[in-house]
Amino acid sequence: MEHTSELVTLKPAHSRSCSRSGQVICLDNVCKEFDGARKVTALDSINLHINRGEMVAIVGPSGSGKSTLLNLIGTLTVPTSGSIKIAGQRTDLLGDAALTRVRRDKIGFIFQFFNLLFSLNCLENIGLPLHLRGYSARKVRERSRELLDLVGLGHRLNHLPDELSGGERQRVAIARALAYDPPILLADEPTGNLDSVTGEGILALISDLQRRCGSTVVLVTHDDVVARIASRRIMLRDACIVKDERT
Amino acid sequence: MILLRLISWQYVRQHRLRSLLTTIGIVLGVGIFVGMHAAGASVLSALSTTIDRIAGKTQLQITSGEAGFPEEVLERVQSLREVAVAAPVIEAVVRSGVEREGNLLILGVDMTGDRSLREYDLEAGDQDIVDDPLVFLAQPDSLIVTRDFAQRNGFGVASKLTMETMEGERVFTIRGIMRPGGLGAAFGGNLGVMDIYAVQKFLGRGRRFDRIDVRLKDEHSLAEGQAALSNALGPGFQVDVPAARNRQFDSLLHVYSFMVNLSSLFALLIGLFLIHNTFAIAVSQRRSEIGILRALGASRRQVLALFMTESAIIGLVGSAAGIVLGSFIAKEMAGLIGNIMQAHYGIAERAHEVRFGAGLLAASIAMGMTTSILAALLPARNAALVDPARAVQRGSNQDISRGNSRGRSAAAGMFALLAVLCVFMGHSQVVFYAGYLSFVLAALLLAPTLSVWLSCSLRPLLTAVQPFEGRIAADSLIQAPRRTSGTVAALMLSVGLVVSMGGLSRGTFESVVDWVSSFLNSDLLVLASEDGTNRSFHFPDSVTASLASIDGVSDVQRMRSNKVTVKGASVLLVAIDMSTALARTSGRVVAGNFQQMYRLGAEGKGVIISENCGLLHNLGMGNTVEVPSPSGLVRLPVVGIVTDYLNQSGTVFVDYEAVYQPFWKDPTVDMYKVYLKQGVSEQSVKQQIQTKLSRQRRMFVMLNREVKARVMSNTRQWLGLSYIQIAVAMLVAALGIANTLLVAVTDRRREFAVVRAIGAFRNQVRKSVWLEATGLAAIGVTLGVAFGAIDLLYERQIVRHDYAGLTLNYDFPVLLVFLLGVGLIVTAWISCLAAAEMAARHSMVEALEYE
Repeated sequence: MEHTSELVTLKPAHSRSCSRSGQVICLDNVCKEFDGARKVTALDSINLHINRGEMVAIVGPSGSGKSTLLNLIGTLTVPTSGSIKIAGQRTDLLGDAALTRVRRDKIGFIFQFFNLLFSLNCLENIGLPLHLRGYSARKVRERSRELLDLVGLGHRLNHLPDELSGGERQRVAIARALAYDPPILLADEPTGNLDSVTGEGILALISDLQRRCGSTVVLVTHDDVVARIASRRIMLRDACIVKDERT
Repeated sequence: MILLRLISWQYVRQHRLRSLLTTIGIVLGVGIFVGMHAAGASVLSALSTTIDRIAGKTQLQITSGEAGFPEEVLERVQSLREVAVAAPVIEAVVRSGVEREGNLLILGVDMTGDRSLREYDLEAGDQDIVDDPLVFLAQPDSLIVTRDFAQRNGFGVASKLTMETMEGERVFTIRGIMRPGGLGAAFGGNLGVMDIYAVQKFLGRGRRFDRIDVRLKDEHSLAEGQAALSNALGPGFQVDVPAARNRQFDSLLHVYSFMVNLSSLFALLIGLFLIHNTFAIAVSQRRSEIGILRALGASRRQVLALFMTESAIIGLVGSAAGIVLGSFIAKEMAGLIGNIMQAHYGIAERAHEVRFGAGLLAASIAMGMTTSILAALLPARNAALVDPARAVQRGSNQDISRGNSRGRSAAAGMFALLAVLCVFMGHSQVVFYAGYLSFVLAALLLAPTLSVWLSCSLRPLLTAVQPFEGRIAADSLIQAPRRTSGTVAALMLSVGLVVSMGGLSRGTFESVVDWVSSFLNSDLLVLASEDGTNRSFHFPDSVTASLASIDGVSDVQRMRSNKVTVKGASVLLVAIDMSTALARTSGRVVAGNFQQMYRLGAEGKGVIISENCGLLHNLGMGNTVEVPSPSGLVRLPVVGIVTDYLNQSGTVFVDYEAVYQPFWKDPTVDMYKVYLKQGVSEQSVKQQIQTKLSRQRRMFVMLNREVKARVMSNTRQWLGLSYIQIAVAMLVAALGIANTLLVAVTDRRREFAVVRAIGAFRNQVRKSVWLEATGLAAIGVTLGVAFGAIDLLYERQIVRHDYAGLTLNYDFPVLLVFLLGVGLIVTAWISCLAAAEMAARHSMVEALEYE
């Protein structure tokens, strides 16, 4: 808990901003189509509201639109129609720079393939988002150390991603996602590239951090075991939400 | 073939810009090679045709250096039983007096005998005049011109043409117009025919001829005739076939070919690195594709063949495009070579059409394809070594080039050691060039390692400037030597070439400045031709006394120069008044005692040679120099060696009175160095000379500063070549950096997407690409400067021993390096714009799923 208190000291005032209703993610009538040789509707009239501190699992078969939904929430892509609000801010109307600011301040990503920069060591990978926010080198180093300790890799400060196991890489990725203590954590198949034992450890870590930091976590998975850690399960099929259940 | 269509073609289609940039290196190399050689061959072929046209039915030509020989020689030739026809000739270059026409080659012939050698196919004019040489002779202002020249300028028979002669401007009358073809087509029509005795008179040639054209009797072979003429005339005369004149120009062209071949070689080397770079990246990017192919049953050999065929096709396409580029270059180069020829012969020979021989085309294609195949060899081998199991596994990595790096470092060390050993192993040419080659190879092999070291040392700086962008940029440079090494090597070579050539140019310039101030030290210079290089006009020696009698003149030094053959090579023989030179000049002595050499020279007991003459023709102090003269071979020892830049193949100085007059019997002068009494105004003496002498004869009087300015301006023009090299370096930098960064950006799509996903703005991504480009350029410039600094040492030796025979100071071109550094960094910024934009605008979603 002592780490958590440290984290709070680094938070900017707006990092905890939420809508009055307590909903941090609001999607209304969101559609996403891809133009190609033929038009593909990836998401059709999606209405989804996620409250602050919720842990939501998005499940569904391959091609059902899970990743597209996550990318829309993460502002990596914009909807064809409909409105999206992230922490009270309409993102479907924003330009690239404003979307970047939303990602930078409010969203942390955990990817299936970790997506660490192979040229940077653990400390530097975690420090990247902080450098982007203009933190001093000393502060970046201190904060990165704290986060590495938090995910149990305090002894791997200067190791390159190539020198880590899959589970360790994912821990570094999680630490990087938490670097600025974002109100929303998005995880795309966070255990998809790990063995079951390591995967369980990563899920436990995400759960633990979510509880300790109070972040909203949205994770995409096709694995029922993974989905079970969430308090809410949303099932997608053929571009539509077919089930939304709380456990 | 099917793999090529299904796999390679698809890849090329997806990476069009990169494929284009890769091929450009080959296009440039082949283009320069083809352009230069086609232009040279075309101009030489045009010149050869012209020489044949002027020679007509001439089988042998008799010459004795440029100074010519007395008329009596003609009788000796005509009396030989092997000779059927012997006709004297004077060739002179004069200003046509017509705007835009430049110079005319005036062929002075003896109409009584010349028509048995040359056909004057007249289409207009009074044929009787030419049929009856006496009529032509009786009118010394008669001139025959070509139809091309007449038509271009609206001349007809009886038109008047004003030309400069030694007697000032004279009006000549066109009395005949030659039909095109044959003699009428020589020098693009810029040719006039006059009576030889009129030419002697108007051009101040005295009773001398330049040449005798000979036709042998049918029963005697060429060899017999040549032997008989050589025996009869002695060693002071050259008896050769007309085509031999081409050789002179060929050797002149050789110097220029050396520079262009060097640029071509460098362009190809750069092309080689660009292709190597692209293939190395392609193998890395297509690893999973290769793995799938291998998993589906493709053998290692098939994978190797696939990449080698791709490279061969790139070579073929690049060569074909290079030939097209070369045809444009050839047209421009033909004009340039024509200008070089104009400087040499006075008349520009223009190649009306540029011809590409089958041999040249085949050589170009072979060169382009070989370069491309060599470049792809290592990456193709690495592709064949890809492990199919690991390649198809998402996210796994296989380092297939680690072994190469170790081997490369070992080879680099070995070559570096060899280069150092060669420095201490004596002065043999073979050892020197082996050392030079070892140095270049060591530098190229070390480039990737040095590049990583430099990138590491740049990291703190880049990170301090921009913590996020700088870190990303520096790490990209450090972590991907395979991506950057080709470009760094290409940049290093290119910058190194500019630095060493710039150093040579600076050294030459400084030496020329030094020489100009010591040799051209007279107050006034009086010249028979405006540019001082046209040796068609001469003063009679009587001008010497006239000049000396002018108020304020203290000393007059005569100078008569002409080309002679020494040890089989053409050198410049300069006859001067050695005693005046001793008193007035302060040349840089390379060997011998200044006082003694001029004293011995003035007594006719020796010659002074230029340093380049000694080095190029292996002549040292005390060696005997044999110079052919109309009176036989002049054998004199070398009594001194000085630095001199009058002629690039060497100069031999003899005394005008003690040696030149007795042997050449040529009482003419090309140039006077006029020294004034103290306190006398140069301008007033110049005016006096012009008033007293210029009205009587053709004469150009120049002040010392005007002469120096002209020499320095000519030198600067020549040195302008280094600016062309800077432009080539910039182009290489642009190509290399653009190529590398496009590759880098494609290679790092995922990385950019990650940093964008975690909150980097597009501008930050752009900035990191700019910083990477800056770093790349800075590394290339740093290594290039170091390479160039050492290369300059070697180049100085090459210039000294094999190229110009000159000892140049080691002059590092600091300003040039500064300008080049700034220029290359700006070029890097410009050439990375596309890559930066691509990096900033990649779809994050696509890139994050991309492996």
